[in-house]
Amino acid sequence: MEKRTARSLFIWGTAICTAVFIWLTIDTHTTIPKRTHTDQLTEEVVLGKRVWHKYNCNDCHTIVGIGGYYSPDVTKAYSTRGETWLKTFLKNPESSDPKRRKMPNFNLSYDEVNKLIAFFKWVDAIDTNQWPPKPAVETKPMVAALGDPSQIVLGKNVYNQNRCDLCHKIGDKGGAIGPELTHVGSQRDPLWLTTQVRDPKSHNPNSQMPPFPQISEGEIRVLVSYLASLK
Amino acid sequence: MAYESQKVALKYFVVSAIFFGLQVTVGLLLISKYIWPDPLIGFLPFNTARAIHTNLLVVWMIFGFMGGTYYIVPEESGTELFSKKLANVQFYLLLLGGLVGVLGFLFGWTAGRPLLELPVELKWAIVIVALIFIFNVFMTMIRTKKWTTIQGMLLGGIVMLAVMWLFGIPFFKNLTVDYYYWWWVIHLWVEGAWELIAASIMAFVLLKITGVERHVIEKWLYVEVALVLITGIIGTGHHYYWIGTPGYWLWWGGIFSALEPVPIILMVFDTLHHVRHKNLQVTNRLALYWAVGCAIYHLIGAGVWGFAHTLPVVNRWTHGTQVTASHGHLAFFGAYAMTILTAIYYALPKLKGFDQFNQKRGFWVFWITTISVMIMGLAFGVAGVIQSYMWRGLGMDFLTVQGFMRPWFIVVLLGGLGLFTGVIIYIVDVLTLATKKS
Repeated sequence: MEKRTARSLFIWGTAICTAVFIWLTIDTHTTIPKRTHTDQLTEEVVLGKRVWHKYNCNDCHTIVGIGGYYSPDVTKAYSTRGETWLKTFLKNPESSDPKRRKMPNFNLSYDEVNKLIAFFKWVDAIDTNQWPPKPAVETKPMVAALGDPSQIVLGKNVYNQNRCDLCHKIGDKGGAIGPELTHVGSQRDPLWLTTQVRDPKSHNPNSQMPPFPQISEGEIRVLVSYLASLK
Repeated sequence: MAYESQKVALKYFVVSAIFFGLQVTVGLLLISKYIWPDPLIGFLPFNTARAIHTNLLVVWMIFGFMGGTYYIVPEESGTELFSKKLANVQFYLLLLGGLVGVLGFLFGWTAGRPLLELPVELKWAIVIVALIFIFNVFMTMIRTKKWTTIQGMLLGGIVMLAVMWLFGIPFFKNLTVDYYYWWWVIHLWVEGAWELIAASIMAFVLLKITGVERHVIEKWLYVEVALVLITGIIGTGHHYYWIGTPGYWLWWGGIFSALEPVPIILMVFDTLHHVRHKNLQVTNRLALYWAVGCAIYHLIGAGVWGFAHTLPVVNRWTHGTQVTASHGHLAFFGAYAMTILTAIYYALPKLKGFDQFNQKRGFWVFWITTISVMIMGLAFGVAGVIQSYMWRGLGMDFLTVQGFMRPWFIVVLLGGLGLFTGVIIYIVDVLTLATKKS
């Protein structure tokens, strides 16, 4: 190849690819209103995005998979955690377990929390081409006796993962929004507990407890094992 | 060294080396946070430390590129620099900007966008620094009698670098649009502008140390950069799979980014070709090692690792995991850190007028850093595969999976300590060379 040919390749190749890229960019913009439902992109959502930036959340958490890989992705935080849980958590994010990775308490105001949640709600509905993917394999719940020690350990893990301690107290650790669970095993039977976690409004229609659709049946089983062991 | 004004490059190189050291130090803190429950959380929480880590990377690389450019341009243009004074002013402004940025992060002064955390005021300040730089380089180049391809490519690279930066400045209301243009900075820098600059610097160094005819080297420079841009510009689409942009990006991004290794493979071949057909006795073997090592490492880190998770079927599972961290570390080190170290190990002795210099320390740096980063990259990679499988594939809880990844974070820390050692030796070496009497 001659140097002149190489130069032509460079000039034409770059020009054509740039043109195609700009064309795709323009086309992408025409799809944005529908894919991101910009009609719901209210002033509150924008202010929520500013809160997201102000505390540099994105350098620990990913959103649509971009950002720091230190902490959980928040793209679907709204639909998997729910509003009540997010509200409680954002006011008091510090884990009571010293061994777990910590999120510092930024002392967000109620106003900031509400805006941030509005932002999460809007992000949750963006059409991301089905990302994050649904797990490829359904983890099957282990069939073991209810009081089995291994089940209790797993159940404690489910309790921690879902930060039940934000509202409930066991021993001297936890919040005061929900009832204390220190002796719940001697107060409620496993069936009652299972129904309560599955549908928090089943026993008391006015219950403030949010539903936890992300907790699988297997997880509820081990969680109840753990709760039933608290006597 | 042919021109007195090339000497302004010296202080750029020194600061570049020191900031590299700081970046690695903060990196050690970051990985410690993964292993133990968040040391120093009150003073330097993860998000602040990460902002400092990544911005220091950009700053030391920009210092390296600018120093390299100031060294190359007078020699290529056959004239003294347009203004040595401007080059010095611009140096102090950039240094000030970098330091204010890092200190600002400590006090929560941030735009809150990953990698583009600098507040908007500082971003505009950087634009001014870039304009001074481009002006100075351009005014020097137009004095030339004969435009060379290396000059043109270098100028193109720095102009593109400045133009793309502008897309990182505004606040976007829509997250999808925000990330759409965020990638115009991040991707079109590292797979566009920076490649142009790095390829030009490398072509210059190879021209000088191998003595291969200019028209051969410049022809390959054209081919290589042409392929980088042809694959890289539309290849930006591999970042548009899951951010809310249309599904056709899975095809455009997938196909074009899958071709991105092609120019890198070509680069390895033409580098080896130039070295094999050298017309000169190579006295600076160290610079040659860095140049060849850079080509190979570039292929592994950017080419192979990039390809591994660029196709949508794979990326669906690995997106947002430590697989990206693995690729990021290997690619930046191979493609850019090693280019800058090549330039510095070539130019620094020249600037001081040494025909011979003690290369022993430089070879230690070469082996320690390349091996250490490889250990880090592989360990991040294993952690990322575990994460993709357990978190995404099995749907396990995020923090529970982090526990399974912990042993590999410890390996990253060990690699990081190795890298830290190598970089300390490097800084000592650069300072020794820079302060030694000619």
